[in-house]
Amino acid sequence: MIRNTLDSLYKGAGWLAALFLSAICLLVVCQVVFNVVDRLSTLITGTAIGLTIPSYSDFTGFFLAAASFLALTYTMRSGHHIRVTLIRSNLPHWMQEILEGWCLLFASATSAYFTYYTANLVYESYIYHDLSSGMIAIPIWIPQASMLIGLALLTISLSDDLLCHICGKPVSYNKNLEEFAQSINE
Amino acid sequence: MSEITIPLCLLGLLFLLLGSGIWVAFSLLGVGIIGMMVFTDAPVGNVLATTVWGASNSWALAALPLFIWMGEILFRSKLSENMFEGLAPWLTHLPGRLLHVNIFGCGIFAAVSGSSAATAATIGKMSIPELTQRGYPEKMILGTLAGSATLGLLIPPSIILIVYGVATEQSIARLFIAGLLPGVLLVTLFVGYVIIWSLLNKEQIPMEENNLSFMEKVRGTKRLIPVILLIGGVLGSIYTGIASPTDAAAVGVVLALLLSRATGSLCKETFIEGLLGATRTSCMIAFILAGAAFLTVAMGFTGIPKSLATWIGTMDLSPYALLGALTIFFVVLGCFLDGISVVVLTTSVIMPMVQAAGIDPLWFGIFVVIVVEMSQITPPVGFNLFVIQGLTGINILRVAHAALPFFLLLLTALAIITVVPEVVTLLPNMMGS
Amino acid sequence: TSWDMPTPYPDATFHTQNIALFAEDVKKATDGKLVIKLHTAGSLFKHPEIKNAVRGGQVPIGEFFMSLLGNENPIFAADSQPFLATNYDDAKKLWNAQKPIVAKLLDKQGLMPLFSVAWPPQGLYTQKAINRVGDIKGIKFRTYNATSEKLANKLGAAPTQVEVPDIPQAFSTGRVAAMITSPSTGANSKAWDFVEDFTDIQAWLPKNIVVINKRAFRRLDKETQTALLQAGAKAELRGWEMSKKETETKIQVMKDNGMNIIQPSPELMSGFKVIGNEIVTEWEKEAGPAGTELLSTYRK
Ligand code: NA
Ligand code: NA
Repeated sequence: MIRNTLDSLYKGAGWLAALFLSAICLLVVCQVVFNVVDRLSTLITGTAIGLTIPSYSDFTGFFLAAASFLALTYTMRSGHHIRVTLIRSNLPHWMQEILEGWCLLFASATSAYFTYYTANLVYESYIYHDLSSGMIAIPIWIPQASMLIGLALLTISLSDDLLCHICGKPVSYNKNLEEFAQSINE
Repeated sequence: MSEITIPLCLLGLLFLLLGSGIWVAFSLLGVGIIGMMVFTDAPVGNVLATTVWGASNSWALAALPLFIWMGEILFRSKLSENMFEGLAPWLTHLPGRLLHVNIFGCGIFAAVSGSSAATAATIGKMSIPELTQRGYPEKMILGTLAGSATLGLLIPPSIILIVYGVATEQSIARLFIAGLLPGVLLVTLFVGYVIIWSLLNKEQIPMEENNLSFMEKVRGTKRLIPVILLIGGVLGSIYTGIASPTDAAAVGVVLALLLSRATGSLCKETFIEGLLGATRTSCMIAFILAGAAFLTVAMGFTGIPKSLATWIGTMDLSPYALLGALTIFFVVLGCFLDGISVVVLTTSVIMPMVQAAGIDPLWFGIFVVIVVEMSQITPPVGFNLFVIQGLTGINILRVAHAALPFFLLLLTALAIITVVPEVVTLLPNMMGS
Repeated sequence: TSWDMPTPYPDATFHTQNIALFAEDVKKATDGKLVIKLHTAGSLFKHPEIKNAVRGGQVPIGEFFMSLLGNENPIFAADSQPFLATNYDDAKKLWNAQKPIVAKLLDKQGLMPLFSVAWPPQGLYTQKAINRVGDIKGIKFRTYNATSEKLANKLGAAPTQVEVPDIPQAFSTGRVAAMITSPSTGANSKAWDFVEDFTDIQAWLPKNIVVINKRAFRRLDKETQTALLQAGAKAELRGWEMSKKETETKIQVMKDNGMNIIQPSPELMSGFKVIGNEIVTEWEKEAGPAGTELLSTYRK
């Protein structure tokens, strides 16, 4: 039950990230199409219309942050965050197990710390009503919330894996990475 | 002497964390957090959140995931296969054969993208599977890719030249033009190296079929049309002023989608796979970039890069010795900071020294870019290495080993532009008058 | 005590040079009890983050472009309203009227203003000569915030968003054909590479401001506080003089590099003044009673 809820949460954030990535593309393409229309209008009528998407550079930046942070857990669980495993792979199995626990502990702790202070950042932006400085004033806590959600999910997922590791169950990323390696070799 | 001991401690810590298998981004964050806690009294957690947020929501950075997405689409289409099929007959007589596709592919793509990570990701996504399948030696595939992808920074447009130009008040247009000839020089060096290596190791380079007549070759070249359309479209959108260099990445994605649709290799599954693949890879890079940004700020708070640079300044070196010292300084910092961060952190101390020594700041910009390129392929923190490990699963240390000859070639290029500065200054000077 | 101070602009900018002198003054006046370590060119915090970093106590002091906060409260953007204050004397008067309100607004965020220095008057950069407002109609005009967008629309120009590093490329590829910015930015980005004409319309004099975190300030002893405030006052005076000199030198640099330095025709200026008045009236409505108060103090 909990397992399923968590897994769909992780996956959902990944899909949302992909959506934001396509939104960046869509937004920029719209602006480029506007530029083309403007160029044509200059050629035909001699004056440009001045079609712009207001604050489009701000929005692209915010979408990028959302895409990056919301994808953190999905990327972690599919084994795509990179690490150096060369030294470790030469150690005996029991030492590898301990090291894996250390890695998960370190990452969960760092992630939790990071999440806590990000919550603090979002809270401050919220109570001070911080606004973006572009043409459209956006309350900055809204895009910042994507960073908070992404990091919070990552912390949960890492603790999840840490727990699995302690209980002797396989961790998410290795399993998925093996599948990935197979798909490459096919 | 703390200028030396503190960075050494932090470097040691970084190696320890990375070596124990902690994810790269977490290692960078960890070193930053611990370094700041020990050596400064700033509120670490708040600085962490502010810095990472500031570094992550950047319009200029948005080109990176878009180019990565474009690479994913091309990889799943017949375009990359067609490109190799079309080029293969022409390269049969050149020692090294299709390895040169990596070099020229990166060189051309560098004219489209401003970063070396995007160049490595896009070209690598297509070329690594093709070249591996054709039996080229892994070491040369990885080496040529890691090395040539650094051209993304030198051939305009270039993110780092923009950063340097803004920080030092040099004209960005002139810097861009100054990067052209050194870019050609590097391509020549890389091609030359591949030719010599291939002549010495003939048995390792697979044969490409070569019983085609000239007309058949020309007909085969038709397969290159989609790729030419793609590159032409992206470059065209920049130079006709329809798209800024950042926007051009989105043009690339749309063109790639249209072309793979036209060649019948786009369906719902490949579209979604490509999008998810791009989401993962760009997230991996963005997280490392965030870690690097924080480590940079942490270093800024400790004041280490500045005191190191000042320390070099006190040695009263001749211009050549100064350049030598700065090269070593940049390479060492480049081992554990991202190249752009090195420039941001140290220009305010280094530029006065450089100008006092009578070195042209425009020339020095290109010098810096080449040094930063070198830092992209040195472990542990080298973004081309990260991208290639992400693409292949091959360990960064092995990739770094494969890239070592190209590191040395970059060093050679540095020596050449130092002895013959006209390689850099010729074109911008023509533009000035 | 040692204070880290992030600033957004490069070392060669006169604002940064003024702040470097300010840091020296502070060190001297306090006998090294307070040392200000500069982190220039956004090397510590990026420009949009500097204010919040000072507010959160991550750094005790910092500099930023004041009208960057214009969305938070229009008062911060008073100095960026076109053709309201168009020379150094008026700009100084405007700052005197603006200062108490700005101080009150910053106080709510635990910040206090230390000093503020104006940029040189903003001029018009174009690829062909502009003699009347109508000449700007239909050409692509660089915008970067709400005010510049409004100005472009009122001029009948086509607003185009261009980020600073992208300016030369945007001009040379025709994505943009006109912009309003200071002679400093023009000379530093080697504007002669991509535009012909600089029309000295002196549209407005925006300011940079240096702010202090109040908690950090209170932690200093009385003598250090006084020394800091005195050094700030001195830096403000010096900064405005540096700004005037900057205007002359940078216009000369552009002239020396072959740009046409044009005095605007009366016809052009009167056209601009009309549009300026409309924008200022709208701004006053947005800013509410504080805006009216500011304008009446300024116009006294
Ligand atoms: Na490039
Ligand atoms: Na490196």
